[in-house]
Amino acid sequence: MRHRARPSRRGRDSAIEKRLIRVAQGSAKSARRRLYLVLIMKHYLVTKKLLCVCRSKMALTQVSSNKCAGGFQKVFEHDSTELKCKMKFAVYLPPKAETDKCPVMYWLSGLTCTEQNFITKAGSQLAAAEHGIIVVAPDTSPRGCNIEGEDESWDFGAGAGFYVDATQDPWKSNYRMYSYITEELPKLIIANFPTNPDRMSICGHSMGGHGALICALKNPGKYKAVSAFAPICNPIQCPWGQKAFSGYLGPDKSTWEPYDATVLAASYSGPQLDILIDQGRDDQFLSAGQLLPDNLISTCSEKKIPVVFRLQPGYDHSYFFIYSFMNDHIKHHAKYLNA
Amino acid sequence: NLQNQLQGKVAEMENFAGHLEEIFLTVEENFGRQEQNLEQHYNEVLQTLSQRYDDGASALQEEKKKKLESLYAQLLLCGQALDRSKDLIETAQEVHRNQDRRLFLKVMKSFLSGFLINTRVQPVLLERTPLADLSDVKTMMDSINVVPAPSAPVINPQTPNSASQTSLRVCWSLFSDDTVEFYELYYRPVLEEPPADSSIPSPPVVRQRDSSSCPEAALIRWESGNANPVDSYTVELREAGSDGAAESMVAVPACQCLVQLQAGRRYLVSVRAVNIGGPSDRSDVITVSTTGTFFHLLEDTAHPCLSISEDGFSVFYGDEELPISAMALDDTTFTRCVAVLGDLIPVRGRHYWEVEVDEDTEFRVGVAYEDTERNSYLGTNRTSWCMRHIRTPSRHKYEFLHDGWSPDLRITVHPVRVGVALDYERGTLSFFNADLEQNLHTFHCRFQAYVLPCFSLDNPGALTVHNGSGAPEHVFAITFY
Repeated sequence: MRHRARPSRRGRDSAIEKRLIRVAQGSAKSARRRLYLVLIMKHYLVTKKLLCVCRSKMALTQVSSNKCAGGFQKVFEHDSTELKCKMKFAVYLPPKAETDKCPVMYWLSGLTCTEQNFITKAGSQLAAAEHGIIVVAPDTSPRGCNIEGEDESWDFGAGAGFYVDATQDPWKSNYRMYSYITEELPKLIIANFPTNPDRMSICGHSMGGHGALICALKNPGKYKAVSAFAPICNPIQCPWGQKAFSGYLGPDKSTWEPYDATVLAASYSGPQLDILIDQGRDDQFLSAGQLLPDNLISTCSEKKIPVVFRLQPGYDHSYFFIYSFMNDHIKHHAKYLNA
Repeated sequence: NLQNQLQGKVAEMENFAGHLEEIFLTVEENFGRQEQNLEQHYNEVLQTLSQRYDDGASALQEEKKKKLESLYAQLLLCGQALDRSKDLIETAQEVHRNQDRRLFLKVMKSFLSGFLINTRVQPVLLERTPLADLSDVKTMMDSINVVPAPSAPVINPQTPNSASQTSLRVCWSLFSDDTVEFYELYYRPVLEEPPADSSIPSPPVVRQRDSSSCPEAALIRWESGNANPVDSYTVELREAGSDGAAESMVAVPACQCLVQLQAGRRYLVSVRAVNIGGPSDRSDVITVSTTGTFFHLLEDTAHPCLSISEDGFSVFYGDEELPISAMALDDTTFTRCVAVLGDLIPVRGRHYWEVEVDEDTEFRVGVAYEDTERNSYLGTNRTSWCMRHIRTPSRHKYEFLHDGWSPDLRITVHPVRVGVALDYERGTLSFFNADLEQNLHTFHCRFQAYVLPCFSLDNPGALTVHNGSGAPEHVFAITFY
């Protein structure tokens, strides 16, 4: 073996590469051996790249931690590759997480919310602790992206990501909440917390309810349970949805359909779902035609998708309503997550 | 749920504290009584002792007086003797002065011998007086620490189900004031000759249809089978397929018996009637299974328009109008709601059954108290809870009725097999789409009395009850909303 001074990392890699190429091209006795060596080189390079990416992007910074219901309510911050900005999310770790892997329930919040509303107002921690479920509550949109107009409305832009992957400028670079929720965030959670990777469920309120429904319908079998509080069931047909989709996805309505729960339900095929929906009867947005649950119900009735929809008299759209039935939803999720 | 647990724990602790207080008070009482007893005892002992002392003292005084008197008498004698001696000495001196020495010696000789005899002093001895008899005081002292003998226990009369072929359970009570270390039980078999003119009874009539069961127990019912009353019945049961001994329950007073059993088995049961002539032959044997909850429908409660199938598990509501004469004036039948009750075993455990319906059957299924109003519709009163299906031309509607109120629900997939789960402990009645294992709704109610399953058809149609298989795992796995 020739002895030489240790080159720089890059230099060393390319030396190895050169060696491999030489061997592959030159003195290999058979074509098969050459093929193997080429494959090895390819895999080596790819893995190296991935490792670099993973290492830098899996880093989490803890922002806060409070002991709650025997477990811990924490908030973390990280650099998101999908959203290209710093994102915060809340994680509740039940007592069971100290010793065992736990299933994960993702909670998607509604318009104007951050990761704080759910953890301070919804009263989920006791039931999550009792059933041993990790609850992850991300923010509702990318933040601080310096996009013009992102802070103009409360129902579009910041705090109103609508859980879609935007295709229109100036949103398409940052506003990719659908991919963030379904791809990046789960990988981050699995890598950093004691989770059962194949036991996750999804739940949300209002715009988050819409997000939960579309994530479940677009990813058959990925979520073991789904439920929603006062969801936007048919965004194509309501003012909120129309404003958001035209801004994020453009004027062509066919690009909106893949993000509409009612439309997705009509063509759903996959493992059987069991959807629980609670809706306050005195919800102002229900009467304003923003939520349209009847459309979803009739489609699900036609397509035989099991839904139990409960109209709760006297309840409105607020977190007081969520708090009142959060226990029922967590029990519904626990039935499937702990089965 | 945690809160409830905490509250439960607090209540338990309060209970416990209350018990401790009671125990403390009882102990205090007992101690007070013991104290009094001891004081009394000791007072008695002291009295007796002082009595003895007084007696002894007076006797001693008497003796002292007597001895002193005798001493005094002796002293007197001594004094007299001394006086005489003095006289004699003076006489002797005088004689001596007379100068007749021979006469003097003679006188002195007789004089001295007489003197010696007369001056012997009796010694006075103080005899040792015997101690007073204190043996009874000793007994009294010993008896202070002795616990009084307890009173005779009272044997309770024999309860039914307390005997088998090889064992017998005897219960008795003791008085609360008694302290008991152990009991001695004596027994001997008694053989009585039956009177010559008595005859053994006929065997009772046991039908499969009259029994119900659940995983923990079975309720066996029969008809006496005898015109004259019998003394009691003996229920015999044996696990099917095992060679184990049969268990018997004797002294059953009525024509039914609730038997504790083990879950997941099959038992063969028969009954004998017993009177003074002896036991009857065995009745027909029926099979009882402790897998899941099993019951038949109470045909007596069925509305006249409701007909029940041969096997007793399907009900039909036909189109035809029944003549008025068929409308029974019975207290137990439903008169408006076309309903029937089920004979659920009265055991406060977990029960599950399923109801099979068609797409368009308009039904009400649930539970009701045994005395639910027969002239009102299920769910419209406080004594019944039910799931109701209404069929409109465009869709299905569902109500979960109790006391006339229902939550507002939509269900997208019509259940054709409804699972009903009753849990007395948790106080819940849940309804499921059994095919999808989907929970539809749960009533929360602490049932004050036993409830019976109820089934009704609001429009012509049919439904079938399925029971006797255990509840699927998801049913009782988790508390439902």
